[in-house]
Amino acid sequence: MPDIGGDPLFVLEFGDILHYYTPYTITLFLLALIFTGLAIASRPERQIDIAFGGDAYYAKETTVSEMRFRRFMAIACGLATLGAMGSGDLFNFTLFVSLVGIANIGIVAAVKNRHVLDAAYEYGIVAMVATLPLFGGAALVVATTGTLAIPALAAGGFAVPLVAKAFLALGVIGEGMAPFYAAKAEMFRAPGAPYVIMCSLSSLLIFLRVVEIVITI
Amino acid sequence: MLIITRISRVLSNFQNLVALFAGACIIVSLIGILSLPLAFEENQLYPKTRLDPTSGLYPYDRGGVPFGTTEVICQYPENSPYAGYVTTYLTPLSLFLAENTLYIGTTIVAHPGGIIDEILYNTRGADTVVETSILFTAFAIASYLYRREEE
Repeated sequence: MPDIGGDPLFVLEFGDILHYYTPYTITLFLLALIFTGLAIASRPERQIDIAFGGDAYYAKETTVSEMRFRRFMAIACGLATLGAMGSGDLFNFTLFVSLVGIANIGIVAAVKNRHVLDAAYEYGIVAMVATLPLFGGAALVVATTGTLAIPALAAGGFAVPLVAKAFLALGVIGEGMAPFYAAKAEMFRAPGAPYVIMCSLSSLLIFLRVVEIVITI
Repeated sequence: MLIITRISRVLSNFQNLVALFAGACIIVSLIGILSLPLAFEENQLYPKTRLDPTSGLYPYDRGGVPFGTTEVICQYPENSPYAGYVTTYLTPLSLFLAENTLYIGTTIVAHPGGIIDEILYNTRGADTVVETSILFTAFAIASYLYRREEE
């Protein structure tokens, strides 16, 4: 078994569900923690459009309720990412990843703009459909090996089918597709900043984590 | 035209991404179907053998005595010294229904966490926490989007 994460530094036990932190995952965990703190502390960007032909400009205000909701969703997304980074249980990991997906929908969907809502709707479809391969992969693993704990699977002796790993990766790809939509809706610059950064970061982190899981089990 | 240019041109329209993801799902599913049969591991950690149609909790009956100790299989037995408190998550009303009717198993989906606990086992409490968090987040989004029209 290739051990890319290193030895667990710290193990947190919830019954059969372990959260373990190797040097690899604790790096990702700290990154998610820092960015969650930044999302809590930062204020929304104010977009200014210059009206050509004059010296007028439009200042677009983000309403307080929208700002609060998007900040809440960014924090929820950060917490879900924190959970997914440490989770040592395959089913729990899939749950955290789908929580990341739903929080990403919330971040994108809070912007009251037809173009952005269109993108959020399309992403919502992908995120909903992606839960099928995600949970299907976990179900295939539990059916063919009889267990879900990643440390037990990593210890060897189990033949995890390749298609289960492919399903897991595919599910994470679907849930982590949010930056494509956010980028196309031009949210990084204008109405969504800075909370949209959480979409990109959580997608990146769950990708890195699923790579570790797929290689380890 | 370079192939990378073509790919990025297709990907730049986010309406194509759903089709792309669906295509990937179809391909992986076909590989999965071709790799059948996959062997079923008989030695399951969370077995579903004790299905009793006469139980009021069917098909959710995990067995065991409330407030008693029951032998259950765990991945890490040392983490669950009180494993066996199996059906104690029932509310008094649910317990009454379970003891007197045959229908609590079909109405259990009306309980928070009931509809999603097909894999839930008494040593897997963190599952329930995350599942209800997902429901909570989804409700928060739905209520925000619904009430936004009033502003």
